[in-house]
Amino acid sequence: MSILESVELAVKNIVSSKTRTFLTMLDIIIGVAAVIVIVGLGNGLEQYVTDSFSGLGTNTLTVTVMSRGSTRTLSVDDMYAIVDENSQYLDLCSPTVTMPGMVKIGSETVSTTSVQGVSEDYLDIAGVTVSSGRRLQYSDMANREKVCVIGAYLDQAYYGGNAVGQTLRVGGQSLTIVGVLAQQDDTLEEGGSDDCLYLPYTTASRIAGDVSSYIVTMREEDYIDESVAALESALYEVFASDDYYTVTSMAEMLETMTSMINILVGVLAGIAAISLVVGGIGIMNIMLVSVTERTREIGIRKSLGAKERYIMEQFVIEAACTSALGGVIGILLGDGLSAVASTVVTRLMEETLTVAPTLSAVALAFGISVGIGILFGYLPAKKAARLNPIDALHYD
Amino acid sequence: MKALIEFQEVCKYYHMGDTTVVAADHISFQVYQGEFVAIVGQSGSGKSTCMNIIGCLDVPSEGTYLLDGRDVGQMNKNELAEIRNELLGFIFQQYNLLPKLNLLENVEVPLMYAGVPKKERRERAKVALEMVGLADKMKHRPNELSGGQQQRVSIARALVGEPSVILADEPTGALDSRTGREVLGILQELHAAGHTVVLITHDNSIAVQAQRIIRLEDGRVIYDGPADAPEAVVTPRAAGRFGGVPS
Repeated sequence: MSILESVELAVKNIVSSKTRTFLTMLDIIIGVAAVIVIVGLGNGLEQYVTDSFSGLGTNTLTVTVMSRGSTRTLSVDDMYAIVDENSQYLDLCSPTVTMPGMVKIGSETVSTTSVQGVSEDYLDIAGVTVSSGRRLQYSDMANREKVCVIGAYLDQAYYGGNAVGQTLRVGGQSLTIVGVLAQQDDTLEEGGSDDCLYLPYTTASRIAGDVSSYIVTMREEDYIDESVAALESALYEVFASDDYYTVTSMAEMLETMTSMINILVGVLAGIAAISLVVGGIGIMNIMLVSVTERTREIGIRKSLGAKERYIMEQFVIEAACTSALGGVIGILLGDGLSAVASTVVTRLMEETLTVAPTLSAVALAFGISVGIGILFGYLPAKKAARLNPIDALHYD
Repeated sequence: MKALIEFQEVCKYYHMGDTTVVAADHISFQVYQGEFVAIVGQSGSGKSTCMNIIGCLDVPSEGTYLLDGRDVGQMNKNELAEIRNELLGFIFQQYNLLPKLNLLENVEVPLMYAGVPKKERRERAKVALEMVGLADKMKHRPNELSGGQQQRVSIARALVGEPSVILADEPTGALDSRTGREVLGILQELHAAGHTVVLITHDNSIAVQAQRIIRLEDGRVIYDGPADAPEAVVTPRAAGRFGGVPS
């Protein structure tokens, strides 16, 4: 008697009591579906965070400074000097001035656009190119030119692709559009990466105040610690205290975020997995009932020459098939729910977040459900196999 | 002739709390190849114990049981299962067919445990069902059949593995007298065809259909001889009450 025949027999028995099998499987179905959705959600979240960080590259460091009294301050020139001195680690530098103000195009107010004052190197740091017009230049910084470059979304949505030469207003200041950036996202959307505007930091700091943060790129991504240390020691010399500046590496932040998400997903998946254990106990329960109900069958099979091993095999395989079937249904349900969740989350958050079930999560969920069937089917199967054939034959 | 079944001073004790019940008390007999033997006795006589031991469902507490020359008392559970599968064909009072399987699948079960390949199994099960005249109902479930038909299926199942001994435990007990006679007829045919048949019953009128009777009482053999001898069907107690057997 081969395993395949045992499986066939098990499937026959499962099919002959559909309602009971379904109810037995329900916990497994729910558990597997929950694990898949949660892991998928975690992956989607991680992907989302990675995507939003990778816009600036993981080889960048962010420096935030405050002034300490009137003497110990860090001017933009000082910062450039620090970067030059540590050129074995550091490469490009750009002040970043985030503008809270809104963009006014004609009489329309656009509130979703991210507006930043930056240096001429910023586009290189961000890895963005200009598709028409020109980039920001050093002379724009030096002369505090009232110019800006805009993202492809603004160009398409408000200027029909002919933005260069037009004007708009940021924080009451009229700016001339000198360039349009190449499209970054697959689709142009409000609030996306292409809904942006960059102006010279010198112009921006007139509107929004002093420059207080910088973005610096590293020459080698492998020397994060050294680069951070070099920056920090130079800043310490200026401020004589480490309370007035922070240096953050994008890579580290990404790592921190990712590990936080992973812990969260792990905890949630663990909770969902409890349902799998509960399901396993349910299977054990039903299998025990089934052994009692089928005592006579076991007796007959034993009298016809079934060894204990075969009886055992039959019940274990039946339990495994039940939970495996539950696992498969759970996987399908989980996939379905993931698709629904993607749509709902995307709509609610107005951000694209794909709940993507991974192959490994699916394989793991399936493996665990089969394992649970075998584990919890073992005890009832053992009970069945050990039955005395004489007693079993006369059982009513 | 070679003794197929050999009981040598077989005893069986059951412990119930502090008391010990002697179900078989030094039983000895032999059954030869090709014989049709009825083991008869009232309930409590030890015939069920005998049937369990002959059927390798149980082992003697004392004494030796040789089946086809092999000492069953020394065997472990797996070897007992193997020997049941190879050497014995069971026919039960309650037919004991598996309700979820069709007739063909039911008859295949012993062959499945013997490791016969599926195709050959199917063929042999068909032949066995043809033999009992149920080839046209192969795909039916047992509960769609009458009692007599179900018993014929169980006979087919007993025969399909070509066992050395066919062991029938009250095979007509659940049947009306006409179908009971039919089933007995099949057993006699099997005997005529050279099979060894052991019939366990409490009913003298059934037992006399065999060739030889072994009568048990209180765990002991009180008669072992031809079925057509007058003393075969009368217990000593009854003989005493009615003034003995007329000579």
